[in-house]
Amino acid sequence: MQYPLPIAHLIDAYMRLPGVGEKTATRLAFYTMDMPEKDVEDFSKALIQVKNDIHQCPICGNITEKEVCDICSNPNRDQTTIMVVEQPKDLMAFEDMGEYDGLYHVLHGVLSPMDGIGPEEINIKSLITRLQKNDDVKEVILALNSTPEGESTAMYISKLIKPAGIKVTRLAAGLSVGSDIEYANSITLKRAVQGRTAL
Amino acid sequence: MYLDHFVVQNFRNLKKLDIDFDPNVNIFIGKNAQGKTNLLEAIYFLALTRSHRTNSDKELIGFGGEYTNLLGHVQKSQVDLTLRVLITQKGKKVWINRVEQAKLSKYVGQLNAILFSPEDLELIKGAPALRRRFMDQEFGQINAEYLYFASKYRQVLLQKNNYLKQLAKGKTKDQVFLDVLSDQLAGIAAEVIFRRFKFLRYLSHYASDAYAHISLGGEKLAIAYHPSVSTIEADDTVEEIYQKILANFERNKAIEMRKGTTTSGPHRDDIEFKLDGKNAHLYASQGQQRSIALSVKLAEIQLIHQLTDEYPLLLLDDVMSELDHTRQSALLNYIHGKTQTFITTTDLEGISWEIIKKPRVYHIQSGKISFEKEN
Repeated sequence: MQYPLPIAHLIDAYMRLPGVGEKTATRLAFYTMDMPEKDVEDFSKALIQVKNDIHQCPICGNITEKEVCDICSNPNRDQTTIMVVEQPKDLMAFEDMGEYDGLYHVLHGVLSPMDGIGPEEINIKSLITRLQKNDDVKEVILALNSTPEGESTAMYISKLIKPAGIKVTRLAAGLSVGSDIEYANSITLKRAVQGRTAL
Repeated sequence: MYLDHFVVQNFRNLKKLDIDFDPNVNIFIGKNAQGKTNLLEAIYFLALTRSHRTNSDKELIGFGGEYTNLLGHVQKSQVDLTLRVLITQKGKKVWINRVEQAKLSKYVGQLNAILFSPEDLELIKGAPALRRRFMDQEFGQINAEYLYFASKYRQVLLQKNNYLKQLAKGKTKDQVFLDVLSDQLAGIAAEVIFRRFKFLRYLSHYASDAYAHISLGGEKLAIAYHPSVSTIEADDTVEEIYQKILANFERNKAIEMRKGTTTSGPHRDDIEFKLDGKNAHLYASQGQQRSIALSVKLAEIQLIHQLTDEYPLLLLDDVMSELDHTRQSALLNYIHGKTQTFITTTDLEGISWEIIKKPRVYHIQSGKISFEKEN
């Protein structure tokens, strides 16, 4: 037997979420049917709000409900340093650290021709125009993941901005803090030796 | 190292086996399609968590069963280990000494095994892709860095080829990103090629020694690496190889953009087996080619011993019948006392067992095993 159409539509909608299959979607749909009307209304409102009220900051690409995000509009932050990250979640990780008070630029992805993502598809152009308009920036920190795609994206960006005389740096790679050397694999150890610092 | 106890549950046609092995030579006798090769495959799987016959682990789960369980007790020179592999419909899990390992890479390498089967003749006769796969598998087994760089190379190559196709179709014009990908690829390629030269040098040395033992012709075997970037020399540093590949990419840029693919690099390289300087693929007889393939396997045993101080298990699948009497003796002589060996054969006739003092003989019939008293 087929489910009544409204339930079938809801199951379909849940299945579009990552990690949700048909069984989970069906369970969620039936649960939603039993929820108080007020809760369902709040839920649907929250869904629409996140779509309508949240957008990318026109300057850095971070997600925000304001016109310009809190970080870009904060004059007390160090205006000479921009940290380039892949995702808003990465930005949040650096903010939780609390030690960095410069600006950010969120790419929303990395270059991956395999997945059809070229320089046009991520926020690289806006980074370049931002640097062209703003002479204050002295350093760009490339804080991308050390995957092959993250590395080629970092190399690409550094090729574009180095001619402008801006210092380009990347995060250190190697041993993670608090880990034992004896348990580290040889690739990690090699990176750690290559990136050693003077005491 | 050697496997002294092995429990198999529901692996292909092997329902339930519980066997003690001899540290030296174990012989599995049985008619065709009784499960001899399945038993070798099970040992191989315990060591490497993959099969030499299939890429689908599910195929290994015996008909009508939910899962496959392999449990082996391994004696090494310093320690002894209990290894366990569980294959289910959802995937596989591995344990070392009852501790589940989250990463397969932690598990693989605990037990080393070299398998030789009649198909290995393709290594000499077959297409270059087979020889590249041979290098990737064997060098990856003994060197974690090789494994890392080889898989990274495949990934970045895929990215670059995809981008070249987009350039070829005119979907993008940005050549700066192509240069970035070429640069990145050249860096990884240099690491791969440098290690291939190094390991092939060792392998060539040992293979030539093994060949001298098992062949009686007195020819000299050598293995050479042929990089597709022909300017690369055997004693180049990683940096020199990188520069040469990069220059080559630059030179072939227009061709690569037109073809939409990377025309040179480790994925186009080859190895050549030479007997007295002559290409074995073209000039060696069937018998000589078989001896070469076997020598390469024996060389791997020595190579693993050199790098890990342990001799791996040697699994010989249906090989004895293909060798003549003198070559059999030479082979058994060569491995005697070094490595625990597992041999499958349809009968004991015509095999020169006198060389082995006490082989342990098992009869395999319809997936069941019986132990023959020492003779």
